[in-house]
Amino acid sequence: MLKISKQELLSLISELRNLGYEVIAPIRSNVTAKLAPLSSVEDLETDYIRVINSPKDFLLPSKEPLFRYRSTATVTSYGLKIRFQTVEGPCPVTIVPEYTPPKARLAFLCIHPCMANSLKYLDSVMLSEPADPYYKARREDMFVAVLECEEGDEYCLCKTVGTHKVPAGYADLMIRKSGEEFLVRSTSRRGEELLGSLKRTQEPGEPKELVPRLKEEYAFERTDEAGIDERDSSKYVDACTLCSSCTVTCPTCYCSDIEDRFSLMDPSNVERTRVRMSCQRKCYSMIAGGTAFLNTKDARFKWRLKHKFPFSERAYQLVGCIGCGNCIAFCPARIDFRKFLGKRVA
Amino acid sequence: MSTELNPYLPKPASISSVKNESLETKTLRLTLINWRAEFLPGQFVQLLLPGVGEAPFCITSSASDSKHIELTIMRRGIVTTASQYIRPGDAVGVRGPLGRPFPLERFYGRDVLLVATGIGIAAMRSLILYILENRGKFGEVTLLYGARFPEDLVYREEVKSWAERIKVMVTLSKATEQWSGLRGRVTDHLKALSLHRDVIAVVCGSPTVMGSVTDELINYGLSRDNIFVSLERHMKCGIGKCARCLIPGGLHVCKDGPVFSASEISIKAIGE
Repeated sequence: MLKISKQELLSLISELRNLGYEVIAPIRSNVTAKLAPLSSVEDLETDYIRVINSPKDFLLPSKEPLFRYRSTATVTSYGLKIRFQTVEGPCPVTIVPEYTPPKARLAFLCIHPCMANSLKYLDSVMLSEPADPYYKARREDMFVAVLECEEGDEYCLCKTVGTHKVPAGYADLMIRKSGEEFLVRSTSRRGEELLGSLKRTQEPGEPKELVPRLKEEYAFERTDEAGIDERDSSKYVDACTLCSSCTVTCPTCYCSDIEDRFSLMDPSNVERTRVRMSCQRKCYSMIAGGTAFLNTKDARFKWRLKHKFPFSERAYQLVGCIGCGNCIAFCPARIDFRKFLGKRVA
Repeated sequence: MSTELNPYLPKPASISSVKNESLETKTLRLTLINWRAEFLPGQFVQLLLPGVGEAPFCITSSASDSKHIELTIMRRGIVTTASQYIRPGDAVGVRGPLGRPFPLERFYGRDVLLVATGIGIAAMRSLILYILENRGKFGEVTLLYGARFPEDLVYREEVKSWAERIKVMVTLSKATEQWSGLRGRVTDHLKALSLHRDVIAVVCGSPTVMGSVTDELINYGLSRDNIFVSLERHMKCGIGKCARCLIPGGLHVCKDGPVFSASEISIKAIGE
């Protein structure tokens, strides 16, 4: 353990940059904080409760080219609604996909423990066989420095879902605020090497576990599929505008769509792109012929919760909700799923 | 990076022939360029039409030919409509075979009932061809094939040749005057089949039909373990990463299916 000043903490950023990392850290943006590549070290924000985005936005970008290929297709008319009519048949040449793996070495600095838990969830989805090569390339060599959380706001629910602790192997450095200074300890070899650059001797000993103070606490009951289905959600979903804020700001919502994109100027150069998809949209569950399986706000609201709780528990033995409360805090209709799934206990 | 390491990269194929099955349905025969597709009946592939997009289709050809695959495609969405304009010689991309096939070893030595409606027959053709090639391994096989209008029927000539070796019943729910065969929905004819209870049933069709046929079969006394359905979802990745094909119960149609037994999933997941 090491007690360092803010200046020394900032010096770690340049040290990480020297090691070839792109440092992503919380910065102040309008009224909220967000994770962003740090352009100047002074921008680093350490007094924040929630960030509007999450490491997901860097590991699984909302728009990511998977590969490019050439096609001899030409655009014959501007028909944006009926896309197939813009292409004059498939091409009589072989498709040769060009693929360049992502190169960035990412370092997440001062993310909260809940976000470290989201990395664990994304790992179990994306690295299960067969692993997603794009996620894997970014995930390898990643550096994570967790800033422990002292206090949550009225939307945090990490204690309810048990994500205020950082899972083993998901932090290289643990940072804790202590007045104007920071207590830092390394939890991996990489973290130890980085702290070595400060040229200070580390004191032995583990600090006491820090449990964040939350303004509200809830207890969930019956989060199985039947339990969620049986509940009446009308009180909650009536105000829903289907804006998809919940899935956009959620650190573990990973649903995606893959589409072909090409510019009308050069339609022969096609980019196969993975874009974010939301279960709050009708096209999420639509199959050929227009049949959709999730047709009501009620079905979509419950579907998201079912994906977080029973589906994830079955497939990955993990709860998909990491208790950050972003889906409540950034919901324009103030829909609070905590009240839907349980009762307030504190 | 090769396609072995990146499951999103398509492998090359070219169209060797196109056959019109009905007004809106075509069977494309694909020649795989320098690779083989080792598949079993029930598996699917992702077909990439350059510049248009990708969509999942069940392989409809015989599993004994790994150099070619056939896909029967009905005009419904973006990719399926573009596929209607495909000509022999066109280049396409293929990812797969993906998914879990029919558990054929469980079918051996038993009577099999195949219930297909509409384009659902496409998902079953590979299985039918497998049964015909290994006819001795199966007991009595009955195909109950339902469609709406006479012009919706596909594989017309083939169905006639299948009828020589397995029992085939074709029924139309909106038959014209000229139609001499069975009339009504498939569910109307299930009872008349006088099934015994340990028959293996395979159901494929629209979600509504699959749900009602499965319900009917369970009510008839068939064990849920012996009823298999082939589900349809718009899978995007095909490897369980995009969560577009999640069904109630938390299973992915692309990697846990598309073939499920009725004991693995609820009727609600099959279709309402």
